[in-house]
Amino acid sequence: MPASWIVIGISVAYLVVSLAVGMWPGRKASGTTAGYVAGDRSLGLLVMYFITGATIFSSFAFLGGPGWAYSRGAAAFYILGYGALGFVPFYFLGPRAARLGRKYGFVSQAEMIAQRYGMRSIAGVMAVISVAAFIPYLGIQIKGAGYVLFAVTHGQLPVWLGGALVYGVVLIYVLRSGVLGVGWTNTFQGIFMMLLAWGLGLYLPYKLYGGVQPMFEQIAAQQPQHLLAPGLNSAGESWSWGEYSSAVLMSIIGFSVWPHLFMKAFTAKDERTLRRTVVLYPTFQVFLVPLFLIGFAGVNFGSVPETADQILPHMLMNMEIPAVLVGLFCAGALAASMSSGDAMVHAAAAIAVRDGGVHALGWNLDDAAQRKWIRIAVVVVLLGSYLLTVFYKGDLVSLLLWAYGPVGQFFPVVVATLFWKRATGAGVLAGLLAGGTVTVLFTLYSGLRPWPLHAGIYGVVVNVVLLIIVSMATSRSLKTQNQDYLDVAGTAS
Amino acid sequence: MTLRNALFGLYALACLGAMTWPGYAAFGNRIEPYVLGLPFSFFWVVAWVVATFVVLVIYHNTGEKDG
Repeated sequence: MPASWIVIGISVAYLVVSLAVGMWPGRKASGTTAGYVAGDRSLGLLVMYFITGATIFSSFAFLGGPGWAYSRGAAAFYILGYGALGFVPFYFLGPRAARLGRKYGFVSQAEMIAQRYGMRSIAGVMAVISVAAFIPYLGIQIKGAGYVLFAVTHGQLPVWLGGALVYGVVLIYVLRSGVLGVGWTNTFQGIFMMLLAWGLGLYLPYKLYGGVQPMFEQIAAQQPQHLLAPGLNSAGESWSWGEYSSAVLMSIIGFSVWPHLFMKAFTAKDERTLRRTVVLYPTFQVFLVPLFLIGFAGVNFGSVPETADQILPHMLMNMEIPAVLVGLFCAGALAASMSSGDAMVHAAAAIAVRDGGVHALGWNLDDAAQRKWIRIAVVVVLLGSYLLTVFYKGDLVSLLLWAYGPVGQFFPVVVATLFWKRATGAGVLAGLLAGGTVTVLFTLYSGLRPWPLHAGIYGVVVNVVLLIIVSMATSRSLKTQNQDYLDVAGTAS
Repeated sequence: MTLRNALFGLYALACLGAMTWPGYAAFGNRIEPYVLGLPFSFFWVVAWVVATFVVLVIYHNTGEKDG
């Protein structure tokens, strides 16, 4: 059993270093909203690479990735599969969004869309969906951090206190440095996690089975279906190809329009940087491979963790390995949680104030007041998510699924806004509301689906159809298309 | 639509088909042979991620110089 004080010492040292890295950029950004939310549109390739890559390396990837490979086998490959193409749409959407952002001063996705149609309600609907999606998502990150500290201290540090400690650090650097703090800590934490994932991903199979291939051969001899797609569902029965394939497709559709990722289009220093970020993105994706190896190492480990997501800490705590390694793992898991959580807190707060307050409700705030309110919203959002994790006894992942489908509905809206001249506000709003409703309905009552496909797919189909029909029906009556906007975006007729 | 965009679109469709049904089920979904220690079903997906990276590099570098 590793000495607890070494483990805790390494974790605390890691938190201190993260804080220092996150605090330092606060001196450089200008004191404007564009500085706080979009980093003065100055981010270079290195930081852009890690700030977008960190969305993969969340608590979900670090604990959930091994958990899926362990309990659901080849079903986990879907995460790797959608990642290959998931960011590709951004190659075409990102530069247009960035041009508009520079011209009109946008820092969020919803205000970019609402501006074209001059409709406040669109910003309002998108803000509500976004914030509703972020709170449970953030809750999962907080719980992940709390759980790791709980496990490695053998329960000496309760989950609520561990979560509060880690997110206290996040709160400080997000408040002080805004998106630049997020960017630089993600760069530092991303490098750290890559090294750690490969280290553990190769070490565990060698230590336990004598190598990666021997490990897989042992699994193949006992339960070959574990290594064949589409793998197993959460109940341990075999998953269907329809569910697997539509999950890949829906994830590709929804990935690039997640607000905290999309609004990074407004932070890049130029279009070339944005495009190169997309080109390099699959290299980040490859770092899921060692995380899956860790999960597969658990299949024949012997003892069984309480839940599948705990397989990694479970193995580490039940093996004879140096305390330093456990400490580093702990720091890595905290890094995974923090580097996704910080971007979400920051995005949710900016969206609530800019899109919800200023655009939808028409609050009249000057730049300094907006910055003040965004900082207040950071505290409120973080506190809300924290209280949800402490007091909500249900399953956070299912809460997230509720929100995930509606966020995917942003994709047709973003594409139409940037590429389709005849799109109208009424069409966009109709598609968004109908698509979101269908998705939530089919997520809730999955038995009603005509075919066993991801609920979001039905939403997207309804969304696209309504967007086109309603736009066609209303575009004649709108004499004043926002021509200037279309020129900047480069939307062809 | 330029040839470059058409080829890129074709690749994206092929990749999507290879990651899901029917391409994955037909060609990639076997345990043997092992490649780099990974079962073929795992290696298949990794290989397409790497291929996408290569294709993106080519697509990006053959585009207009301002982009």
